[in-house]
Amino acid sequence: MSHSTVPRPAPPEEERPAERPTAGRRPVGRPRARRRRDPRLEGGVGFRQRLRRDWPLIAMTLPCVIALLVFAYIPIAGNVIAFQSFSPYAGDGFFDSMANSVWVGLDQFDRMVNDSYFWDAVQNTLVFSGLQLLFFFPIPIALAILINSILHSKVRAWAQAVLYLPHFFSWVLVITVFQQILGGAGMVAQTMRDNGWDDGFDLMTDPGFFKFLITFQVIWKDAGWGIIVFLAALSTVNQELYESAAVDGAGRWRRAWHVTLPALRPVIALLLVLQVGNMLTVGMEQFMIQRTAVGPGAAEVLDTYVWNTGIQNGQFSYAAAIGIVKGIFSLVLVLAANRVAHAMGEQGVYKRR
Amino acid sequence: MSNSPSAPSRRRFLTSTAAAAAATAGGIPLLSACGSDGAAGGGGEGRVAENELESILPTYRASDVAVEPDIPSENGSSPGYTSFIPEDELGVTVPQPKGNGGEYRVMSPLWGTPPSDGNAYWTAMDEAIGVRVRWQTQDGNTYGDKLGAVLAGSDIPDLVCVPGWELTGQIPRAISSRFADLGPFLSGDRVFDYPNLAAVPTAAWEASVFGGALRGLPMPSPPIGGVVPFYRQDIFEANGWAPPTDAEEFLSFCQDVTSARNRVWACEDMKWSAWIIHGVLPERPQYWEEVDGRLVNRYETDAYLEGLEWTRRLYDAGVVHPDAVAVQGDALVRFTSGESLMFNTGQGVWHNTLTEQRTANPDFRMNAFDYFGVGGADPVLYAGNGATIWTFVNKDLPEERIREALEIANFCAAPYGTREQLLRTYGVQDVHYTVENEQRVRTPQGEEEVVPETYTFIATPGHFVAASDVPQLVEDQTGWLKRQMPYVREPLFYGRQIQEPDQFTNLNDQFEALEDDVVRGRRSIRDVQDAAAEWRRNGGDELRDWYQRLRDEESA
Repeated sequence: MSHSTVPRPAPPEEERPAERPTAGRRPVGRPRARRRRDPRLEGGVGFRQRLRRDWPLIAMTLPCVIALLVFAYIPIAGNVIAFQSFSPYAGDGFFDSMANSVWVGLDQFDRMVNDSYFWDAVQNTLVFSGLQLLFFFPIPIALAILINSILHSKVRAWAQAVLYLPHFFSWVLVITVFQQILGGAGMVAQTMRDNGWDDGFDLMTDPGFFKFLITFQVIWKDAGWGIIVFLAALSTVNQELYESAAVDGAGRWRRAWHVTLPALRPVIALLLVLQVGNMLTVGMEQFMIQRTAVGPGAAEVLDTYVWNTGIQNGQFSYAAAIGIVKGIFSLVLVLAANRVAHAMGEQGVYKRR
Repeated sequence: MSNSPSAPSRRRFLTSTAAAAAATAGGIPLLSACGSDGAAGGGGEGRVAENELESILPTYRASDVAVEPDIPSENGSSPGYTSFIPEDELGVTVPQPKGNGGEYRVMSPLWGTPPSDGNAYWTAMDEAIGVRVRWQTQDGNTYGDKLGAVLAGSDIPDLVCVPGWELTGQIPRAISSRFADLGPFLSGDRVFDYPNLAAVPTAAWEASVFGGALRGLPMPSPPIGGVVPFYRQDIFEANGWAPPTDAEEFLSFCQDVTSARNRVWACEDMKWSAWIIHGVLPERPQYWEEVDGRLVNRYETDAYLEGLEWTRRLYDAGVVHPDAVAVQGDALVRFTSGESLMFNTGQGVWHNTLTEQRTANPDFRMNAFDYFGVGGADPVLYAGNGATIWTFVNKDLPEERIREALEIANFCAAPYGTREQLLRTYGVQDVHYTVENEQRVRTPQGEEEVVPETYTFIATPGHFVAASDVPQLVEDQTGWLKRQMPYVREPLFYGRQIQEPDQFTNLNDQFEALEDDVVRGRRSIRDVQDAAAEWRRNGGDELRDWYQRLRDEESA
């Protein structure tokens, strides 16, 4: 398309229908002289003119672009170590080490395919993500609608504060709290012992229950924080819609169904796409801390596996290979989820033009 | 030493060994002077040959200012000091600052809350040494994460502390390629320029040879490294219990004293004690024994399986504190609060715990029980390396900067009964401690600035036990050491650093997680046997041949 993406004044209303179907081609039947007279109406502004016009905007985004370049894009090049048997100590500094490391082609990927620990980690990651999608994702939406229905401003502010607070606790603290309540010497277990039920209640070391335990922990810690986006979306809903719905005789549930939820739909779709795209990233600290309690078989996720093999055991190349595969699959997931969002008529993360 | 993916338990117990800020006058030089014609090592992998080693090691010369111990060393046990030495009777090894005001970035682990920059203790130490140290302390429990990243980068601090349990993966290789050979400054009689370093036991220097060169400044280990099995002597005596003296008896005793209803459990995780009770070989690289002329690895031995099975039975019987099963919280806190009656950890916690508890609970007493074997057999305590924590000097430093850095180490290694040692362990009088009734009592500022140890990691004198405030501790600890010394045995390949070829680096990675799974009943002893078979297939047998060649070359 020849259209520039920089903002420009909309063409006059009557021109639009003619322009659409012929996009990319020069509109026919217009005298050249007219365009020369006022080029802005044509969208045919030259590159240098645009540069002169937009340079403050470009200058403003430049720091971000540089930061992204330095911290996100250039490091991507470091992924070449996935095709090596890389040792950071083979030389002075990263590039020297890289030059001195042996190239092994796709050996690391080959090893990954045959590594049962890796597949265990993949399986755990997907199970945890799936459970979070199922149980964690809807909760902030429900909470946001609930909070939004509280009209008393003080009660509302207090409820919000209480819901946000656990987000600021560290995982160490959250898990300690859970240990004190659900652990083998915790509140529940001791209360049961006091009442003669001496059967060793302990949910914190049960590998089978672990996937539900961590979902519960995530809900407890982050569900409150998750409502912020939805509350923001709800605040933009035109109150008149509720009023007119009420006038038309809609009850509380019908108003929620026909006004509130449709208003939230784009945000829900957006977050769903992001959540699905992040399916291979379910968190790390939470699993590191509880790894020994339930064993790596139940608690190892992709990120902890990469950390353990890469940083802890110094197999940088293998960890990089896993990282690449993880990145590619995450990208595929985002694109797929986005496509579904488009099919549902939503914008998703980006808009197709 | 370790090859674990994540080993909080191990870190914690070794930590406390590290915190045993200890010094001694009389170290025993263990250098065997037989000049064999070993050809291994020299460069990267392997280990350095005996005759080569002899020329590398510093000459031992006992300190001439050291104080006679109140409880002398026996069979190599640590000497003990019970009496108080007043300020004016202290010896002096560094009369005036030897440094030239150079600035050093030092990276070290730190357990506890780091004191603020430019605090009175660090300033006093710097002034006495004549340098300016910029500390880059990192949380000791997660030190390995930082260390790997720092060593893999290009901006390495001037001095870097590396604890032995972080020598995993590629770290040993990093040490050979990133840090300076101190041989030109310390080998042979050259060490006499630094008299306190000359008094560091030779065993500690032997363990500081990396990649064929003397690179480490050692923190000498106690003669018995590893864990000490502690029990609550006050609770035991109040109930008329005696510590168990046999592996089977230990199990039944634990079941008798556990009362979950009253929040009392017999013990914490005892896996590390189980190794000693069952005579299990230590970890890499001293993890071989010779059976009928063939090397057998720790992971292939029956003792290893028996030790695991014994620990599993403890877990299974429900006598291990549930928080220990879940690896949450602090074992020491559960021990001092009486929720668990026995636990094992490094000996460093002993003194601190006693002084801490005495204010809150004057009856508090802890002691270590003697190790026992299975069915009347003797326990086996494999001698650990002479040093398990080192500080290394960046190889990019110019010569005179290295000499100045060694002056820092020389100051830190001053023996017990000297002003330097007092300054390092207690700080400045009337700022960090006061003298009351012939006792040094730390002030809150002292607790804050001196107790989280920093300079200790650069170098220390040989191990000793000193506690004029709790003389009972000195007797208990030296007594325990003396009673265990007869069971100390040197493993094969004892004493020096061995760097295995790169392809074996990650061979043992799976075992620690597997052990934790087995003792918690999630996997079986059968799985360990399968893992050992897999280990053999994946390179264990080749590794055996490699060690066998090393051994043949040594005995040739």
